[in-house]
Amino acid sequence: MKQENIRNFSIIAHIDHGKSTLADRILELTGAISEREKKDQLLDNMDIERERGITIKLNAARLNYHYKNEDYIMHLIDTPGHVDFSYEVSRSLAACEGAVLVVDAAQGIEAQTLANVYLALENNLTIIPVINKIDLPNADIPKVKKELINNLGFKEEEIILTSAKTGEGVEKLIHAIIERVPAPNGSPQEKLKALVFDSYFDAYKGVVALVRIKEGTLKVKDKIKFMATNATYEVTELGFNNPKPQSTEKLKCGEVGYICASIKSISDIKVGDTITLENNPASEKLPGYKPMQPMVFCGLYPTETNKYPALREALEKLKLNDAALEFEPETSEALGFGFRCGFLGLLHMEITLERLEREFGITHIATSPSVIYKITKTDNEVIYIDSPAKMPDRQKIKVIEEPYIKTNIYVPSEYIGSIMELCQNKRGTYISMEYITSSRVNIHYEIPLSEIVYNFFDKLKSSTKGYASFDYDIIGYKPSDLVKMDILLNGKVVDALSLIVHKDFAYNRGKSIVYKLKEIIPRQLFEVPIQAVIGSKVIARTDIKAMRKNVLAKCYGGDITRKRKLLEKQKEGKKRMKMIGRVEVPSEAFLAVLNIDEEK
Amino acid sequence: MSIYIHIPFCSSICSYCDFCKMLKNNQYIDKYLKALEKEIKEKYQGEKVKTLYIGGGTPSSLSLNNLQKLFSILKIFNLDKDCEITFETNSEDLTKDKINYLENKITRLSIGIQTFNKNIINLLNRKLNVDNIKSAFKAFENVNIDLMYGFQNQTLEDLKKDLNKIIKLNPKHISTYCLILEPHTKLYIENYKPLDGDIERKMYDLIVKTLKENNYIQYELSNFSKKGYQSKHNLTYWNNQNYYGFGLGACGYIRNVRYENTRSLNEYLKGHFILNRENLSLKETIQNEFILGLRKTEGISKKIFKTKYNLDIKQIKGVKELLNENLLLENKTNIYINPKYLYTSNEIFIKFI
Repeated sequence: MKQENIRNFSIIAHIDHGKSTLADRILELTGAISEREKKDQLLDNMDIERERGITIKLNAARLNYHYKNEDYIMHLIDTPGHVDFSYEVSRSLAACEGAVLVVDAAQGIEAQTLANVYLALENNLTIIPVINKIDLPNADIPKVKKELINNLGFKEEEIILTSAKTGEGVEKLIHAIIERVPAPNGSPQEKLKALVFDSYFDAYKGVVALVRIKEGTLKVKDKIKFMATNATYEVTELGFNNPKPQSTEKLKCGEVGYICASIKSISDIKVGDTITLENNPASEKLPGYKPMQPMVFCGLYPTETNKYPALREALEKLKLNDAALEFEPETSEALGFGFRCGFLGLLHMEITLERLEREFGITHIATSPSVIYKITKTDNEVIYIDSPAKMPDRQKIKVIEEPYIKTNIYVPSEYIGSIMELCQNKRGTYISMEYITSSRVNIHYEIPLSEIVYNFFDKLKSSTKGYASFDYDIIGYKPSDLVKMDILLNGKVVDALSLIVHKDFAYNRGKSIVYKLKEIIPRQLFEVPIQAVIGSKVIARTDIKAMRKNVLAKCYGGDITRKRKLLEKQKEGKKRMKMIGRVEVPSEAFLAVLNIDEEK
Repeated sequence: MSIYIHIPFCSSICSYCDFCKMLKNNQYIDKYLKALEKEIKEKYQGEKVKTLYIGGGTPSSLSLNNLQKLFSILKIFNLDKDCEITFETNSEDLTKDKINYLENKITRLSIGIQTFNKNIINLLNRKLNVDNIKSAFKAFENVNIDLMYGFQNQTLEDLKKDLNKIIKLNPKHISTYCLILEPHTKLYIENYKPLDGDIERKMYDLIVKTLKENNYIQYELSNFSKKGYQSKHNLTYWNNQNYYGFGLGACGYIRNVRYENTRSLNEYLKGHFILNRENLSLKETIQNEFILGLRKTEGISKKIFKTKYNLDIKQIKGVKELLNENLLLENKTNIYINPKYLYTSNEIFIKFI
């Protein structure tokens, strides 16, 4: 295949704007999948992805297309659609020359639309704007066209109208990709530079790296070197997904494919790294590599203490496919042995927790998420802590700093007031606001990341009836007046419930938490006081009244087997409970802080 | 050996009842009694009978003629000379002729009163005949009264009135039940809301206190009697001892098998009596020992436990812990539930499951 007949592109979109359906349609039209093999949203492999309608793991497919008497190879590189994974998005865009920007004909531009456009521009991609879902009854094509033209500077004639659902306009889009997206640069004779934009674990092949050859040629049996980690391997298999894996002898400059090299550990392969040849190495890496940094942390404990080894094994297995997941052993007085886990963001955390339960059948208790705090001690030593338990004594702290983010909140202008109120309540500082159209704005606030971690998404949705879309950039650390708050159950500190809060918010949050816990923790045989304390000062207290009734009022000859079953059922219900001292606590109590309503 | 006989017929169906019962239908009663006789003959091995309990349904709903048939069937049993024979009744059935007939056939009469409150009686689809009750008390020395509580809008005052009326009748035994909304009952289907658990507990406490003040001894979670008048038959259940159950839907426990009869009248009349049998493991038997035995206020005898299972009761998982937490208490002979926790005893029982 001639290099000038290769086209590499991604589809970028805000969540739910129809990216995956459009990808399916393109796969169908290029004959990559037959009608019979068709499974909705073929590129999303995981159940959770399909259920949540989001793409978590990337995929790349090779498509063959005949156009104007020429054969073309197109590589469609899928991208995850969530802010947690924006680094992965940026790396997969770096593997392309073009991007198809999908905008919903009814919704218009949203927060991630813009974030994705910026990422595409950073990578010098040719962007093809597409207005999708034009079959919707509430589609407003002129309005969305105007948004694309006024805000993103596209020309009207560039915009392609499609309905991925009916297939309308998709052929035209494929032609536009061939005509507008440039062929890859680089030379097959140069020293090898292959960009790793994703990796996954295969039980038979080991770790598989997905790459885009930027320079040179890679052959089976070549000795390769990962430039960031310096790991070296011999290539055992090369191939591409069509969309099913198909092996090949070599991958040439401009091509996209996979590499197997009997790689055991996923930590040897970093997304964004450059592969070169060991005996003829390139002099420098491709630009843009940075190691992934988990931003959100939580404690993770098995509900049944004897499941600790199983939990470890499950985390290790997840880690095989998820280089961003971090975990290290942690011990809690209340919950026993577990792990401190690091995630890219809240969604990444939620998905991981769900997979543990669903794919590995491990019931677990997650503590409320924390960010990394930077603490300067009085002796000027600087430490970073990812858990309230690691907070030093108050007397030894000079300054606490916490990570801040800058928001892009896209919202119809009638919700400006609600957004401002929400952000203010989340300790936000107003920066600026831009009108996208006369009725929609982009609001920028600086907000501590820890506040985003506490129910920000839910609040945002509920205060804007779901109309707001949200995206953020980490902007660094800022000093905050933070304190550690402990929660006492029956007079004893439950370390797993401790949290770090802003002093001005401590009273309200403490109050909400104790009331929330009272709702969640069932009555016990004795009265249980719940207190929130800072240092030795109690700032909130409530009591769970003693249980008054749980009885089989009558039990005679005919009842015994039936009554036993009733008791067995009650016993089963207690399995999700953790004994904290003498108190039985349901696992969801440990995430109570996430679900509190502070206005209450 | 103890024996339970189930008579599934009633002259009206109570709105809360989920026992095995049907409206009285003369066409089936003869056939039923014949099948019952067959079942008894198949299973009964001639054991000496210490207690016999005729329950329902409403056994008193049978006509005099059918009662005679029933009692002639029961002649098959080898009754101990001081065998306790209980017969369940509703007040509207207790006519003079039935009282006269039963007088020297049984040793213990149980009357389902449930409440004297007219509104609640209507809600429960029950009837009440106070004159019949009075005559019954004249004829029988050993009488049990059933009392229900825990109705919507029922107040402690209402309950107190019921208690006083019952105490005035001076029965030897009082069984109490809080209303349970079981699926497939009229109340449940009509979405009747149960009383708040806290109020129900107050009612229970009131019952325990009032009956104690009136010389009733609480010997089981829901059962009270004058001294020496405990229900020997029901103690068989709570002592986890063997008993035969005969009749539609009846349950029995013979050696280590618990069995349950069919609830389908057609199947029963065809002679297909048993619906299922469950072989109990030693572990399950011991679990039952606790679930049942701890319902009694005196609890479980350490000595009897040792003889039955050749195990020290304190070796059983959970016992020591519960004693340490004062949820269980112990005296020289017995281990029993701290009375404070009788009404939350499920929390204790599940520790044994």
